[in-house]
Amino acid sequence: MEVQKEAQRIMTLSVWKMYHSRMQRGGLRLHRSLQLSLVMRSARELYLSAKVEAHEPEVPLPPVRSPDPRLHQSWEAEAVAEAAPPDGEQSSPEPMDTREAPRAEETPALCAPRPTKVSRKRRNSSLSDGGDVGLVPSKKARLEEEEEEGASSEVPDRLQPPPAQAEGAFPNLARVLQRRFSGLLNCSPAAPPTAPPACEAKPACRPADSMLNVLVRAVVAF
Amino acid sequence: MPSGTLAPLGSGSGSALSYWGPNEPHLPVSPPTADIISTVEFNHTGELLATGDKGGRVVIFQREPESKNAPHSQGEYDVYSTFQSHEPEFDYLKSLEIEEKINKIKWLPQQNAAHSLLSTNDKTIKLWKITERDKRPEGYNLKDEEGKLKDLSTVTSLQVPVLKPMDLMVEVSPRRVFANGHTYHINSISVNSDCETYMSADDLRINLWHLAITDRSFNIVDIKPANMEDLTEVITASEFHPHHCNLFVYSSSKGSLRLCDMRAAALCDKHSKLFEEPEDPSNRSFFSEIISSVSDVKFSHSGRYMLTRDYLTVKVWDLNMEARPIETYQVHDYLRSKLCSLYENDCIFDKFECAWNGSDSVIMTGAYNNFFRMFDRNTKRDVTLEASRESSKPRAVLKPRRVCVGGKRRRDDISVDSLDFTKKILHTAWHPAENIIAIAATNNLYIFQDKVNSEMH
Repeated sequence: MEVQKEAQRIMTLSVWKMYHSRMQRGGLRLHRSLQLSLVMRSARELYLSAKVEAHEPEVPLPPVRSPDPRLHQSWEAEAVAEAAPPDGEQSSPEPMDTREAPRAEETPALCAPRPTKVSRKRRNSSLSDGGDVGLVPSKKARLEEEEEEGASSEVPDRLQPPPAQAEGAFPNLARVLQRRFSGLLNCSPAAPPTAPPACEAKPACRPADSMLNVLVRAVVAF
Repeated sequence: MPSGTLAPLGSGSGSALSYWGPNEPHLPVSPPTADIISTVEFNHTGELLATGDKGGRVVIFQREPESKNAPHSQGEYDVYSTFQSHEPEFDYLKSLEIEEKINKIKWLPQQNAAHSLLSTNDKTIKLWKITERDKRPEGYNLKDEEGKLKDLSTVTSLQVPVLKPMDLMVEVSPRRVFANGHTYHINSISVNSDCETYMSADDLRINLWHLAITDRSFNIVDIKPANMEDLTEVITASEFHPHHCNLFVYSSSKGSLRLCDMRAAALCDKHSKLFEEPEDPSNRSFFSEIISSVSDVKFSHSGRYMLTRDYLTVKVWDLNMEARPIETYQVHDYLRSKLCSLYENDCIFDKFECAWNGSDSVIMTGAYNNFFRMFDRNTKRDVTLEASRESSKPRAVLKPRRVCVGGKRRRDDISVDSLDFTKKILHTAWHPAENIIAIAATNNLYIFQDKVNSEMH
């Protein structure tokens, strides 16, 4: 758990550094961005492997659930349900999905306000597509992007990047950071843990994790 | 003690020669950013020392000739010339500001009375010519002393203008501007031994220029992948071989060195030799990848060896052996357990330089807390010295410092936790022939000389 928290803290820190490096004179530095993305990738791997280890001893349950009961599920039940097969990659979409709805419902004050109904619908639709075999990261990234498009109007103003820097050499990165970062800061791990300790890190992990996937690509895709 | 070494190591015979910096007592405030020294370089004779700073200025120091009347005042370095090399620019196309910080200065070998150097910021390299004027013509026929045209009716005879001595004036003029050669940020420049060409390297490409031609350069290395998402390593430093004008080396963020031969092909993407040390699995950590990035590479004066600096070590490589370095020296291994904190305060990204002494027997590099380290390759002894105002009163003798990592602590030891990570020595230079070193500590320049063995044999 400590490892998980530490890895997540490093991921958050890396995202912040990435965002901050855009503000520096001289523009984004390729070497620095590469180093930050390497650390983010290692942190993500560490986080995922630590999560898998943490859940391994628990009884595995069938991962298939309907979205509505998930909304009303208690945190404990959810934690047990997340003890999916040991394969880290396959289990991650499920916990991602389960966490999302309760988080949106139970911690509205902490996170960027997102219409739960809208997100639920979108998750269903993307899941039922069925065409997303493998490639967990892209699925998560797309999920987030669909939501974000719906919630973009609700992004808090306090994290508007300076207008002069909004566009530049790396417009895609700018947009990604603008959306992701605001969400991440609102769901910081420092928020009072209203949820049981087993899940307290999760509300913040979700945006960081998907952000990481997008960011890891965005970093070098300029 | 064999000659040619900084001796005796351990008793600190280095003494302060000059100290350049603000005169007021040390204030616990960070200096203005523009004054932070960003590069230091001796010229080929060691008579001149150039520094560049973040404000785009270049300051050149000249060594005073040793006076026979006062043999104790060994030649000290005084300011010779100061000029603004680069100004901040704005790239309108990309909406990016281009920093005026001088990344590197390299002297050209002197070919006439004038001195020339190349200075570069992130995007543009400039060739500066430094000339001295100590005579001026007097006795013009058509102009008077102030330069005003004479009334022709007063001119009754012709005279030949005569050169009369005047106060020394150092003039600096930009002779060439090598612009628009780089998309990414320039990290190094290196003058070829042919004295006609030089190369400049950015994160992904290396260009070859002719010193007289500014509108064209040849790309000799390009490691940009077709898909930028596949990018895994960048170029961090590069240098021409000191004697073979066809050979150069470049280092990467993954810790490898590539020696390239320009005779092999026009584009030197394929290396002639790849120097890479397999990673020690016991040292593997979360931040292994980024601390293995090579921040500086320097050929030895002999041309036989290369010196590299990564975050925790300096390594000596033999050009004849690619598998691993022949020597590895720990600069500050006590930081290995603190990498996470160093990542948080961005110190893990610091790019330290390294230097050889004139005889390639001692290597030097900087560290934190204004410490710098020297390693004697022959005796395998090392010393840690501090560049501080207290230790730099003229003729003061430098005292070796020690960082204690637990265990027995001596009186003057510094504990790892009390190291000041804002005081870092990134840039150092060693006189090409004598035991004189220049240390840049933030906005201060220290010049130390070893009195015992001040001449290399």
